[in-house]
Amino acid sequence: MNIAVCIKQVPDTETKVKISDDKKSIAEGDINFILNPYDEFGVEEALKLADGGEVTIISLGPDRVTSAIRSALAMGAHKAIHIKSDAVPADPGATADALVAVLKEGNYDLIFTGKQAIDDDHTQMASLLGEKLGIPAVNVVVKLEVSGGKVRAEREIEGAHEVVECPTPCVISAQRGLNEPRYASLKGIMAAKKIQIEAKDVNPGPNQLQIVEYNYPPQKSAGKIVGDSADAVPELIRLLNEEAKVI
Amino acid sequence: MAPVKPSFSKALFSGVIMEDLVFPYPKMEKEEAENVKMMIDTFNKFAEDNIDAVKFDEEAKIPEDVINGLKELGFFGLNTPDKYDGFGLGSTGFTKMLSAVSEHDGSTSLMLGAHQSIGIKALNLFGSEEQKKKYLPRLVTGELVGAFCLTEPGAGSDAAGIKTKAVRDEKSGYYVLNGTKLWITNGGIADFFTVFAKEDLEIKGEIQEKITAFIVTTDMPGVSKGKEEKKMGIRGSSTTEVYFEDVKVPFENIVGERGKGFKVAMEVLNSGRLGLAGGTIGAFKEIFKTTLDHINQRKQFKKTLAEFEVIKQKVAQITIDIYAAESMIYLTTGLVDRGDVDYSIESAMCKIRATDIAWEGINECLQMAGGIGFMKEYPYERNVRDARINKIFEGTNEILRMFIALSGLQERGEYLKKIGKALRDPIKGFGLLTDFAADWVKDRIITGRIRDVHPSLMNAKKDFENWAKNLRFTVERLLMEHSKEIIYREMISYRIADAAIDLFGMIATISRVDTRIRDIGADKCDKEIKICNAFCEQAWRRVRRNLLMVDKNNDDYLREIADFISEEKQYPFNTEQFF
Repeated sequence: MNIAVCIKQVPDTETKVKISDDKKSIAEGDINFILNPYDEFGVEEALKLADGGEVTIISLGPDRVTSAIRSALAMGAHKAIHIKSDAVPADPGATADALVAVLKEGNYDLIFTGKQAIDDDHTQMASLLGEKLGIPAVNVVVKLEVSGGKVRAEREIEGAHEVVECPTPCVISAQRGLNEPRYASLKGIMAAKKIQIEAKDVNPGPNQLQIVEYNYPPQKSAGKIVGDSADAVPELIRLLNEEAKVI
Repeated sequence: MAPVKPSFSKALFSGVIMEDLVFPYPKMEKEEAENVKMMIDTFNKFAEDNIDAVKFDEEAKIPEDVINGLKELGFFGLNTPDKYDGFGLGSTGFTKMLSAVSEHDGSTSLMLGAHQSIGIKALNLFGSEEQKKKYLPRLVTGELVGAFCLTEPGAGSDAAGIKTKAVRDEKSGYYVLNGTKLWITNGGIADFFTVFAKEDLEIKGEIQEKITAFIVTTDMPGVSKGKEEKKMGIRGSSTTEVYFEDVKVPFENIVGERGKGFKVAMEVLNSGRLGLAGGTIGAFKEIFKTTLDHINQRKQFKKTLAEFEVIKQKVAQITIDIYAAESMIYLTTGLVDRGDVDYSIESAMCKIRATDIAWEGINECLQMAGGIGFMKEYPYERNVRDARINKIFEGTNEILRMFIALSGLQERGEYLKKIGKALRDPIKGFGLLTDFAADWVKDRIITGRIRDVHPSLMNAKKDFENWAKNLRFTVERLLMEHSKEIIYREMISYRIADAAIDLFGMIATISRVDTRIRDIGADKCDKEIKICNAFCEQAWRRVRRNLLMVDKNNDDYLREIADFISEEKQYPFNTEQFF
């Protein structure tokens, strides 16, 4: 099976985010970028399913994204395409257009994405790709079986799992639980260095979303300890009701 | 081998600043830097899921599946060349890797370090092609785990005094090895030992006992191990005795030349000390991070601890100390990676400085944590326990100071009064004699000044030049006054070593910050400029004090008091007299 995994490079979860002076982006200076954790589940699943076929990593962004691509290659992926772009568009639709242009050139049985990128959290990519490619998209998948041109996928929904089937090719967005991503071995890292990343210039589609501004979340006020025994419960209830107004 | 340039610090004792060895500050090749970053990322991921420092400490064991996981990922082959299936990291990359491992767990770092920094290092440095082909591919996968067997019950700092004996039998082609090795890191899990033993060699018609290095594997009959030692810290790592009883070792297992084993051991330790220094700082940085969380949350008198000036002083001091120590370490690993420089005393300097500041600083972290720091539930006490050994093993910080001072003094002594020769014997006892800087520099333009640095660092530069000059004058005066008796004036040597370490710290820090300013501009380096200037200010004051105390001191009193008390065998003074 030939499989494409669309990945995104995102700031490390431990990053202390600083907003740039014009408020329209975050300052990238000291950020440690990583491969989006949900995309890792996609890479792992692709590697497990490929079975002699090829796994191709596709990512859009500036030069720095090659390090995320290398991480995926170090896990064992075979090929990579880097769609060069000075920045990742604010509009996921625009990114999807560029990815679709590249995906159409390949002959993929399956396309993976993470269920969301942990930076902008749009959670749209799998659906957009499915729509624009005219193939099914299954989101938030925690279990996957593929055989005879068909996938059977378990999706996480509120309080239950939903099992769906659809034909291939299709787009799958990976959720935590789908698998345990392998660690990139040092051998894998060295082998990945030898793989040529194919660079492509594709114009992203029209940007219909504009970022107006970024703001820091409001400062959390300090907590209050009412007491440490059962005696404190009435006071706690009173405060939750009257001050916090949550009950 | 290419001609080796003399050590920067040895030349400094002669008043010569070999600035092209320290400017610009070395950088890893982009390719290697990327590899190291990815390797660290992989390790961090593995560690988050698998490395449990608390459990390893409590159970005094690194679980087998964790060790196997590290082997499978390739962490046993970091610094072996790719020709033998390793990953070819240089000294800088390897040291950074050990530092990253230590951020998670000191025992794991020690296990990987003992295998690669010392266990299989002799094979990598001095092994024959056949030996390398035979063993390295199995060592990089961890199928064989390595250990370094030098220390014996009767030979610690005095490593040349080992008793393990190798008797050569020309007829059979085997040595017969007998002896006991003590405190062998990885002893319990190792299959491959680099063993140092004495053999009788005929030199100029005379039979002499000389040290030779051997590869000994556990499949040879007669190799056995003692029980796991119960240790204060780094408890997850394995430490045992290793016994050799009539072990037949084939001639082909000699590493390096017959009788040159001491040189092999010292070269291995020279490089091993850098990994140890880097690892020590990694652990230190991590507990410092934990401390910073604490002091920014904990409030007393309605202020966070971080707002108190006594806490600020500790935080700043730790920052300055780490910055300077890392500047020294990665300047020296850069020299190693150049491959043509004698770095023996610099690596000793890095080991001393890193392990001293980490011991002080981790204790200060515990102090800032207050009562919490004393509780087992928190990582402070474990970090204190783990850090303690670093000042002791791979050469105690005391013996390494003697090595640094006497190497430097000998340099000058050779040049001045032909007393250098008298200094050779004590040095041979614990370190390597290398070529003299003076011979190397005498035909070159000698300068006591360094290039112009960024204006913000000019004071630091001038202080460095000034106190480097003073070191040379002091050393000359010292040799005039004490001549070869200087080898008995250890209190003075200690101060000379400390002065030399501080001077190396100053030049390393200046070079690092100056190079960074050139790369990214001074406005982005304002914090680093302040750190550099603060360190250099502290350092030159210490240098001044140490050099002044070469002449003005109470050493006679101290010796007399110590001799008296040692004879009493206890502290004999009471505030009240009982009759």
